[in-house]
Amino acid sequence: MPVIKLYASLRKMAGLNETKTSAEVLDAALTDLVQRHPGLVGAILEIGPVITVRPHIIITINGQLTGDLDTRLAPEDSIAIFPPIAGG
Amino acid sequence: MAGWSEKILDIDLSTKSVKTYPLDMEMARMFVGGRGLGARLLWDLVGPQVDPLAPENVLIFTAGPLTATGYQTSNRFSVTTKSPQTGTVLDANSGGFWGMQFRKTGHDVLIVRGKSEAPVWIEIKNAEVFFHDASDLWGMRVYAVTEKLGQNNNKRNVLCIGPAGENLSRMAAIMNDRERAAARGGPGAVMGSKNLKAIVVEGSERPELADKDQYKFLMYETKKLLAASPLTSQALPEFGTVVMMNIVNNIGALPTRNHQQTQFEGAEAISGEALTDKYLVKNTSCWACPIGCTRISKTEKVEGEGPEFETTWAFGAQCGIDDLAAIIEVNSLCNDLGLDTISTGSTIACAMEMSEKGYIDSDLRFGRADLLARSVEDIAYRRDLGADMTEGSLRLATKYGHPELSMSTKGMEFPAYDPRGMQGQGLLYATSNRGGCHMRGNMLGPEVLGLPKLIDRFQIQGKSSFVILHQNSAAAVDSLVVCKFTGMGVADEYFARVLSAVTGIQYATGDLISVGERVWNMERMYNLREGFTRKDDTLPARLLTEAPTEGPSKGWVVHLEPMLKEYYRGRGWDENGIPTPRKLADLGLANL
Repeated sequence: MPVIKLYASLRKMAGLNETKTSAEVLDAALTDLVQRHPGLVGAILEIGPVITVRPHIIITINGQLTGDLDTRLAPEDSIAIFPPIAGG
Repeated sequence: MAGWSEKILDIDLSTKSVKTYPLDMEMARMFVGGRGLGARLLWDLVGPQVDPLAPENVLIFTAGPLTATGYQTSNRFSVTTKSPQTGTVLDANSGGFWGMQFRKTGHDVLIVRGKSEAPVWIEIKNAEVFFHDASDLWGMRVYAVTEKLGQNNNKRNVLCIGPAGENLSRMAAIMNDRERAAARGGPGAVMGSKNLKAIVVEGSERPELADKDQYKFLMYETKKLLAASPLTSQALPEFGTVVMMNIVNNIGALPTRNHQQTQFEGAEAISGEALTDKYLVKNTSCWACPIGCTRISKTEKVEGEGPEFETTWAFGAQCGIDDLAAIIEVNSLCNDLGLDTISTGSTIACAMEMSEKGYIDSDLRFGRADLLARSVEDIAYRRDLGADMTEGSLRLATKYGHPELSMSTKGMEFPAYDPRGMQGQGLLYATSNRGGCHMRGNMLGPEVLGLPKLIDRFQIQGKSSFVILHQNSAAAVDSLVVCKFTGMGVADEYFARVLSAVTGIQYATGDLISVGERVWNMERMYNLREGFTRKDDTLPARLLTEAPTEGPSKGWVVHLEPMLKEYYRGRGWDENGIPTPRKLADLGLANL
């Protein structure tokens, strides 16, 4: 099953660093994650007529940056989600 | 005139003479302050064939028209000189409180020239300058000197060098307010070569503002914008810059073991999350800064500022070390000895690789956290292999027959972003006027964080236009002088409006970016006069020809040549990277 890794402030919001998902598409994986971990409500997704990722949220799949919520997931995929972060 | 004090303080250590004369206001209008003004003045003061460690080199400390006004992050200053590490123009920039206090002495610029016969420290109290014997301070470390000379953050501020600067380490930093550093390129060695131990400032003058009402309004707007941005109101205060460790590692752009790999298995252990969980005491900030990115960290042995992401990477992944406590402790040691942490960590990593391959006789190995402190002390005091390492990785690697193992360009070691995972960053490093540096226009924003918008980090064609824009913008911000983190909540337009309100001169956003472009070309002309050519706009062979064999950047090298050709065209330079007469005329630099 694909694994989802959370970073920075998302860890405290969810109460965990890592979890798995049975979803086959990225947007379903994110929706499922938020539903299972209500602390993430409003942190990752904007729920409306169309689900969108909140500004400055960074998502990678196997280390590749992506914003395409229709991406199909493979069982060995590793999804990483970062909240707005900055540095130098 | 509002905005500038219009005064240059010029001190000759050879004769102990002090002069004050007017700042050329046309020059000030064109170059503003900070980095820009420093570069323009250096052009006049230090020509080719001047050895950076000779008395003929100068140190130019510059504030900007915003400094000490109270505008958010208006605490910074620049120090400009010819770099003993690279031989290029060098601008090193620092925060804290010293820049604010210097501006309050009523000067825009301090020029220090010559060489004192014996160790000396200088005290500037508004218009008065005092020379003091520093023979009892010579040999003291930074923390002790800072305390002895009466550091008080808001009233009396100490800038000094440690043993590294005294011993002319090419990686020596100028330290201020105990743990702040104007670090890259070896400015501390220039100060040491002049027998100048410290500069202490106390001032009481307030900068004059042209339009107080507009200025207050813009401060209020900036406060709201910084509070509304999750980057400046949550990310930076909560985790500091070390939060970059996991994202940069995740995408396969974290240089590891002297750039032999692009991911580090120990990244989580030295991440911002780990620092916050295990060692963070609190966050704090520089003068007039609402962001608060500074960490105060504590281990069993030390408590103090830092570490930053770059430091944690340089002594961490770059050295194959995942011991965060050891990294925190060596950060404190570097501050106390007065050393640039990026170059020091990366030079130790270079020595580690050379030792493992048998090119030098040493017990240094990747992962040996227990040898970090000894190595750093040896560098500061020129002991054993430290006498070679203190010259920087390029001179170290060249001496032992393997210059290709120095991860640097123009002699300055790269920071924590492997350009094989960020093509634009590679172009940035290769063209940086002071050598391997990310602060000249970090492509982290567009290529990784999506600031302002995500672009394909592996894209080659068209990448140069982003690099040029970021370089010009960074040069403008460095000339104001404010902190680049302000720009994560506030657009360049606001900086232009604040500059206009403070000076009474109307700068549109485009005018401010033009200042940045002018500064960039000014620095380029300086380096060309010093003998740098197109061939110096390059990267080590490892980054150009050795692709990572695993991870998200697998198979990628930096495709520099096509990006460089496009870059020169975009800059209005010829195919050799020389600004054309037309470009110089457009920028008001035709008389160079």
